[in-house]
Amino acid sequence: MHRYRFVLTRPLQFLPVIFGISVITFILVRLIPGDPARNLLGARATPSAIAKIRAQYGLDEAMWQQYFYFVKNLANGEMGKSILYKIDVLKLIATRIEPTIALVLSSVVLSVLIAVPMAALAARNSGKAPDHVVRIVSTFGIGFPPFWLGLMLMILFSVKLDLLPVSGYGETFGDKLVHLVLPSLTVALSLSTVLIRSLRAAMIEALKSDVATAARARGMPERIVFWRHVVPNSLVPTINLLAVNIGWLIGGTVVVESVFALPGMGQLLVRAIFSRDYMVVQGVAMVFACATVLVNFLADVVTVAIDPRVKL
Amino acid sequence: MSASVLSVRDLTVKAHLQGETRTLLQGVSLDLAKGEILGLVGESGSGKSLFCRSLVRLLPSSLLKIEGGTILFEERDLTAVTDAEMLKVRGAEIGMIFQNPTSHLDPVMRIGDQILEGIRYHQGINGRDARAAAIEILAQIGFPEPVRQYDSYPHELSGGMRQRAMIGVALSCNPQILIADEPTTALDVTIQAQILKLLMDIRDRHGLSIILITHDLGVVAQTCDRIAVMRGGRLLEQGLKRTILSAPQDPYTVRLIHSHPSMPDVALPAVSAPAPSRAATRPLLEIDDLHVRYPTGGSLFRGKNARTVGALSGVNLQIMPGETVGIVGESGSGKSTLARALLGLTPISSGHVSFDGIDLFQQRNAGLARLRREAAMVFQDPFNALNPRLTIGQTLAEVLKVQKKIARADIPSRVDELLDLVGLEREFVNRKPRSMSGGQCQRAGIARALAVDPRLIIADECVAALDVTIQAQIIDLFRKLARDLNLTLIFIAHDLAIVRNLCERTVVMYRGEIVEDGRSEDVFSRPKHPYTAALIAAIPDIDPDRQLLGHTDAASLEPIQSFKRMP
Repeated sequence: MHRYRFVLTRPLQFLPVIFGISVITFILVRLIPGDPARNLLGARATPSAIAKIRAQYGLDEAMWQQYFYFVKNLANGEMGKSILYKIDVLKLIATRIEPTIALVLSSVVLSVLIAVPMAALAARNSGKAPDHVVRIVSTFGIGFPPFWLGLMLMILFSVKLDLLPVSGYGETFGDKLVHLVLPSLTVALSLSTVLIRSLRAAMIEALKSDVATAARARGMPERIVFWRHVVPNSLVPTINLLAVNIGWLIGGTVVVESVFALPGMGQLLVRAIFSRDYMVVQGVAMVFACATVLVNFLADVVTVAIDPRVKL
Repeated sequence: MSASVLSVRDLTVKAHLQGETRTLLQGVSLDLAKGEILGLVGESGSGKSLFCRSLVRLLPSSLLKIEGGTILFEERDLTAVTDAEMLKVRGAEIGMIFQNPTSHLDPVMRIGDQILEGIRYHQGINGRDARAAAIEILAQIGFPEPVRQYDSYPHELSGGMRQRAMIGVALSCNPQILIADEPTTALDVTIQAQILKLLMDIRDRHGLSIILITHDLGVVAQTCDRIAVMRGGRLLEQGLKRTILSAPQDPYTVRLIHSHPSMPDVALPAVSAPAPSRAATRPLLEIDDLHVRYPTGGSLFRGKNARTVGALSGVNLQIMPGETVGIVGESGSGKSTLARALLGLTPISSGHVSFDGIDLFQQRNAGLARLRREAAMVFQDPFNALNPRLTIGQTLAEVLKVQKKIARADIPSRVDELLDLVGLEREFVNRKPRSMSGGQCQRAGIARALAVDPRLIIADECVAALDVTIQAQIIDLFRKLARDLNLTLIFIAHDLAIVRNLCERTVVMYRGEIVEDGRSEDVFSRPKHPYTAALIAAIPDIDPDRQLLGHTDAASLEPIQSFKRMP
């Protein structure tokens, strides 16, 4: 199975990527005007109190020294202490990571469940009424920003119909699932429009391909031609598009979690930025970046699994 | 001859474009007997493929409609059956194989599974039995290790094996009739011979009737029982193979047979008689121990010691001024790499190429400048080698402007002169490639090559994409130009018969090496290398009595295997 050898070698290439990300987030966070110590202590804090806090968190040292400590901590599996919450950043992230992962996963599953049948419907009726409907709806979908769509869904399902909770996150598994329906539907509606367009184009191409003609010449009914030969051959470009969009989605949870008051990483990040909680911003940004790298890596694995011609 | 399995009467297909109706097939009537191989011959656009697709109602566009006629198959009229019934005819009764197995096989499905699909669907066999049947088919179509190769994907196979797989997929549905649409056009001669043998073998074993679509009369002569000739959507004539080939009735068939570049027994007069003083002159092109290697793989961390694949290894060749040299060999043998290396388009790994005494490796810039003023290339695909946005006049003028050999004011008259030279009307100055036929485009391509007033022309498979009658015209043009302009011509082709007809000297390449080099008559009549002998034996001759692979027994072909094209 030498085609899968890259699964072992590729992670080595992540190291320089992650190093670059750590430098950039470290510097960017410190470029935001404002001072964490002053933010924490309020407007009437004495200069000596501020200096004490700054010394406590190492903020009075040179930038390169701070970065050195950051990397040293990282090597020990620590990300420093949150100024705001007064606990270790990794522990803080651990308490907030579950809603975000649940949101991303359910959104992706939901958008694939929407996109594949819709794209199939449009491609198999290319140029006819169902195709036009799917195309128009998906064009509108791209135009609507997710936060607005989220509010509209909230008004419809929670306020008017009273079917689903307005916001927040549950305690039990079932309860959590119910709370995730609206947020993930919001994300899925935006994400699936992009997928539909790519998948529809790939499917129409594959329906006209020689592979499909040959299958028809063997007397295969259109149903088998489509699902057995056309779909597997049109998935690859869409998988890479999906991976790029999941990367975007991981950052985009910030907005959706705020709208639906989900206690996830996105919300944590917003708070941390406002209070200049450098350690938390760095930590969350690192986790987001690593997750994006990981998702693209997984997309490569899936691509290799689907298309035997691909070598990485 | 036994009763016909398929009987087509007055089949007419029309295309309905906006407000315009064009007749693509006009009243074609044809019979196919059981166990017969019928050769359907014609140039591109003659309607031979369309005819076969109409039989199973797989028209390439919804704008095309069968407007009249009957297709009688097993006491049913296939033009009248429902779509659901048609599904049972396709594959299970009438199977098809195509010219390009690479694009017609599913790239993400194992070969065995593609064969399994037809067995399960059409023969209703399932589970272990179906798999055994699939492996049996793989063995029948010549897969040496059917059990292991069941799991191969199409891209892992060579072109010949892919075409075998395609035939296997068609056989899996157990049809009575097999339509083979140019099944060997994309293959090398040696592989073509094997595939044709396989088709005949299958016919004998399964009692199949085969319609073989081809433009190559040699293929027809070697494999078919009867011939039908089509042109412009009409059936011009049909009859027994020997009757048609020896006494063609229609003038087009006569022309087709005469254009076939068959292998004459008597030596043709060479293009230019070898001048006695030639031995004294300096070679125009000298190639000394030329190696070209391509890197394969390699990565960020292993960039330095990346593996390489050898495309040319130790090629030595000297070409005298005025010589006409044919370079033959199958795909992957390095002929095109050699041509590209000669023009400095591919980096040389080691060795020397010198043009008119200037070494292209040591004096690269001077050498290339010289070479590009005095050598020109004619490409395989005439459409894509011409800029679609420029008229032929602009294309030729561009070369003349860059060359600066003649004054700007004289360019239009020189363009006219070039068009005369290649036999194009002067009105082509204002035409663009898209409104020209393949043969006309290739003439324009040759005119562009002649514009630099070259001493050397390298033609890389420049007739491979053309119909036979057009091929013959282009070859005549080259012969005339080489004689009149005293050109040195390097003619690369996989079609040995063409090289035999045109070139006074033939170089045979095999796996990146020159295995034979000599006067064409000698090479073709007394080949020294077994590979050359195998190549020559594999050419389908238009004379049905000169059997395919007649001189050598098929077994001797086996050790010489085709290998996959370089990545």
